Amino acid sequence: MKHYFITFRSITFAQRAEQLLSRSGVGCTLQRTPRWMEEQGCGYALRIRTKDIRQAGEQLRQAKVPLRRVYWQKDDGMFEEVDL
Amino acid sequence: MIYLDWGATSFYKPAGVYRGVVEAMRTCANPGRGGYSAAMEAARQVYACRETAARLFHCQPEQVVHTASCTHGLNIAIRTLVKPGGKVVISGFEHNAVTRPLHALGADIVVAGRKLFDWDDTLEAFDRCLKPGVQAAVFTHVSNVFGYVLPVEEIAGLCRQRGIPFIIDAAQSAGTLPVHFEKLGADFIAMPGHKGLLGPQGTGLLLCAQPGQPLICGGTGSASLLQTMPEELPERLEAGTMNVPGIAGLDQGLRFVEKTGLSTLYRREHRQLKRCVAGLKKMGVRVFSGKHQAATVSFLPEMECEEMARLLAWREIGVRAGLHCAPLAHESAGTVETGTVRVSFGWNTVDGDTDRFLRAAAAIVGSLP
Repeated sequence: MKHYFITFRSITFAQRAEQLLSRSGVGCTLQRTPRWMEEQGCGYALRIRTKDIRQAGEQLRQAKVPLRRVYWQKDDGMFEEVDL
Repeated sequence: MIYLDWGATSFYKPAGVYRGVVEAMRTCANPGRGGYSAAMEAARQVYACRETAARLFHCQPEQVVHTASCTHGLNIAIRTLVKPGGKVVISGFEHNAVTRPLHALGADIVVAGRKLFDWDDTLEAFDRCLKPGVQAAVFTHVSNVFGYVLPVEEIAGLCRQRGIPFIIDAAQSAGTLPVHFEKLGADFIAMPGHKGLLGPQGTGLLLCAQPGQPLICGGTGSASLLQTMPEELPERLEAGTMNVPGIAGLDQGLRFVEKTGLSTLYRREHRQLKRCVAGLKKMGVRVFSGKHQAATVSFLPEMECEEMARLLAWREIGVRAGLHCAPLAHESAGTVETGTVRVSFGWNTVDGDTDRFLRAAAAIVGSLP
């Protein structure tokens, strides 16, 4: 399992993503987006634990939930942006 | 009190609505503004209401915009679709919530269909008026004065066929008649939260097929560095702190409607309508009734309508008299000089309520010199 952050333009899309992923068994938590992750200011993100972030991303795309950015949290705690 | 003014508001709410409001006041902070538990609970509550509404009206949660009233939603929708001076087709039964914003824009208003309860007339008129050059059509689902149920599916079909954007005013139908956003293909559908949806006053919903032009700009809790409103729904149209207790109550009202079922609610209310119409007709007053009628009826006693309503109020019976903020509908029916007395029924109106009203009305009418 790896930890990821997906950022969203609105809390409503973050909430819809949370519902969709939770219902398909992907563990996720809604939280405020760390300031450095969002160049336009405040926002909400999902913290996700999954083996397959691409599948999660695809699920959200199919449900027409727009994502902003995806970050992988490495073992040393640092973040790396992932291109889905 | 015998409450028969459900067309104005649902004075009696299901118990869950009161609980929902109070619980939200105790547990909710500002939604979308923080990450601590009370802020997240508020956000959860707001989203829960969007989800319930999306199930009931067949759309996505982000297409559900919380407004302060149906009028608020109609203003957003009209300002989005109609440019100053633009040509707009409306029905002959619109509320001032539609006509005043159009007049404020200096719109070229074309009124289609004036005959009460006559679908052929309504459809023929829309068919004739929906021509190239029309910027938008706006039509009510149910007349707030007469309860006339317009053929919205058919009018919507004409608009879609001709590529004319349209807005439906579901003020009197949401919570009683099916409103299928996806099938209707409307650009916007506006509805109050406090009428058929049984929520508190100060709530409303605007279902949106496109982002829309914000009426007010301000904080949304997102993308704060941007000095324009976000492009995304629903935040684009929801600047400022939301009415979370109201929304929590509305969610409970929506759940009650969902659980009870539209057909059950319609059947209950329609039973009272039929009972009332039959009773009024026996009194010899002029009754406005017809085939396509929701649970609202207007009548004309042989006395000043306001006086009739006052005498009923004295007997603890609440009905509404006057023009009901819809002079256009009265022009169509020929009652603009007199107004009407309107009786409307709700989810907990029982036979005894209607009978008590009929006895009181008969006594008042019978006592006329």
